[in-house]
Amino acid sequence: MRVLAVLDGTSDAAERRARALGDFLSDGLTGDSCHETLVVYHDQRDRERLVALAPTRDLRLIRVPARRPDGVVESLTAAARATDAGLFLFPGDDAGTELAARLAARTGGAVLTQALSVEAAADRLICRRNVYSAHMVGRYDLSGSPSCVTTDASWDGAGWAPPAEHRVVADTDESAGADKPAFDDVELLEHPAASDLAESRFLVVAGNGAGTREGVDRIERAARRMGAEFGVTRPVAMSALAPLDRLIGVSGARSAPALCVTAGAYGAPAFFWGIEKAGFIVAITIDEAAPIAGNADAVVIDDAVSVVEELAEIVVAARRRG
Amino acid sequence: MRILASFKITPDYEALRPADWTADAADGPETRYVRRILNCFDESALELALRLTEALDGHAVAAELGALSIGGPEADGHLKTLQALGYRRTTRVDAGAALDFAPGVSAALIAAFVRRVDRSDLLLLGSRSGPGDSGIVPFLVAERLGWPCLPQVTDVEALPNGRVRATSAADDGLVRATLRLPCVLAVGNAAVSHLRVPTLTQRLACRDRPLDVVGAAALEVDVAAGLLREAGPASLEVIDRSRPGVVVGGATPREKAQALYEEHLKPLLEML
Repeated sequence: MRVLAVLDGTSDAAERRARALGDFLSDGLTGDSCHETLVVYHDQRDRERLVALAPTRDLRLIRVPARRPDGVVESLTAAARATDAGLFLFPGDDAGTELAARLAARTGGAVLTQALSVEAAADRLICRRNVYSAHMVGRYDLSGSPSCVTTDASWDGAGWAPPAEHRVVADTDESAGADKPAFDDVELLEHPAASDLAESRFLVVAGNGAGTREGVDRIERAARRMGAEFGVTRPVAMSALAPLDRLIGVSGARSAPALCVTAGAYGAPAFFWGIEKAGFIVAITIDEAAPIAGNADAVVIDDAVSVVEELAEIVVAARRRG
Repeated sequence: MRILASFKITPDYEALRPADWTADAADGPETRYVRRILNCFDESALELALRLTEALDGHAVAAELGALSIGGPEADGHLKTLQALGYRRTTRVDAGAALDFAPGVSAALIAAFVRRVDRSDLLLLGSRSGPGDSGIVPFLVAERLGWPCLPQVTDVEALPNGRVRATSAADDGLVRATLRLPCVLAVGNAAVSHLRVPTLTQRLACRDRPLDVVGAAALEVDVAAGLLREAGPASLEVIDRSRPGVVVGGATPREKAQALYEEHLKPLLEML
């Protein structure tokens, strides 16, 4: 089966997208398949950088008239109709999800998002993805042509590098096409934050067991004293006890720290997905029946705020002693 | 301006016991005994739509608010609440089948309702909802309507000139844009996360107002054919996330923290 990995290079997120695609092509996709990258770009100055990022040796280039997914998808649809590719693979971010959905709708193909793995069989794709708020994994058989699949966020490309050589097999310029703006006065307020949570080596996460804003603040101060990054579960963020950019889990950041201390977290799967790659997990909870207790390496049954504060004192004192 | 917010009612999966996830994984968990909740992203969308309508009213822009849910009668209580809060149009589309893993069918019904019945020009949808969590319904609705879609919307505001500006926290960072209607807003992690509660007076004022119930056939959407294309997962497996769960001893928080540090964390922290 021919697989086209779609690298949308119309925004600053291109490098992250290339890593996700490369990671998935290396380890997430199995079965008999040959791979090419479809690089979509708008600004001529980005061309060479994007070629170097492409996750496969062979690549096709399309210069598009617009930067938005709804502007890109037209060119992508024409490309899809001109190829026999059975699988279009997209990174699992917002643009990738929109492109996959719109392309499937326009071509009459199938769409599946957040794939953990894809097996290319002779007549179909066998895909696995989380369902039921990450409580379970579902196996899907996709037989639509083409199938438009996005990667799960766990395919982050850590340690992956692009091929040393690239070969451009097709080069199309459609930038002269009409670009009808979808929105007015578009203003970038903040660049995407370099996620300290995603890169963290030591993470402390406050859950609802912290009780109050004061409890959450005390856990954050203790975390900072220990040199840990600080995150929160969804109930804490949704109660406005901490900023939303601290959110860990399916709708927030995913982290793979060497050490993760959860303080007052219940351990819902949608949260645990965000820390499940941690090397060692400590659960501090008063509820010994909470799911987090069974999913941690070490469990402390007590008040989360008090234990984290005591732990911070011990860690700081030990560091001072050298 | 006609604003429509769509929502979904789902079982509270976090209320299930661990055993429920292992009993008969092939058919999904038994959820009849757990409460039904409003999907959290949809709840933000419903409250943002209310606030936007009030703000537009303050700028002397006529805005009429509608709510739509696709599913069974479990949504009716929420629709009555929305009536009390000021939603003028409250409709449930009865698909006659569960659409949990059929985002394409859900999108077809929403788009058909907008085009054939509601004629709204601003649509607010939650970014995703369980149990399928596909995250594609807003994009598929936008595609069917030929509208643009702004993803991960965190705030919506009315400008003095009567136009609407939205803030989005998507791939490129925090972006603010003035909308060209019609369009779809996919609401993400908004700081506004709770729907207000109506007063008893508000509830009594609309107690006799009926809800509109529309069948899929009236919208000319072939649900059965759609479900053949979107069969959902062929099988399910439970994820084993268990770890040793060694309980740390001690009588006080200080003793437990000390034992945790000495027995587990000391070598780890020395390496960091």
